[in-house]
Amino acid sequence: MPKPYRPVRRKRNPLHAAGIEEVDWKDVALLRTFLSDRGKIRARRVTGLTPRQQREVAVAIKNAREMALLPYPTPKRGG
Amino acid sequence: MSRHYEVMVILDPTLDERQVAPTLENYLKVIRNSGGSVEKVDVWGRRRLAYEIKKHAEGIYAVLDLNSDPDAVKELDRQLSLQETVLRTKVVRRQLPRGAKKTAAKV
Repeated sequence: MPKPYRPVRRKRNPLHAAGIEEVDWKDVALLRTFLSDRGKIRARRVTGLTPRQQREVAVAIKNAREMALLPYPTPKRGG
Repeated sequence: MSRHYEVMVILDPTLDERQVAPTLENYLKVIRNSGGSVEKVDVWGRRRLAYEIKKHAEGIYAVLDLNSDPDAVKELDRQLSLQETVLRTKVVRRQLPRGAKKTAAKV
């Protein structure tokens, strides 16, 4: 049985699209785009970032969370 | 050795916003007296917090850009954290551009 064909769709890299080299942890508007509506950090297969960028974004989000710029994940529905 | 630091401070929202800059200036004496320099004091103003801190729903944010010795920044952070009106602080070293990182570490 042949393997089912799964189209490989490359996601556009959102950081390159925005022309951003360094991720700033104070740029709340940008970091919010990498959070789900529950406040979780989106996986790389969703964000389409490189491993390095994903790491930088994750660290930036965690820094921003400590300063109450971004929310921590909430178990509440719709929260 | 002098380094570049970024200090973010969240102040009590009940403070008068006009008082913020002079108050911070008072704390920044520590940096100035130790031979460091203050590049920029950026008061963001009142902002909603993502979660409550000490029962406050908002806070006055300020970002300080400094050039200073590690010890002076440590002392500044300590003094700030002792203040009742300071809800939270964060000290971050500025990220150097990728290439410069290795050379800076060697110096």
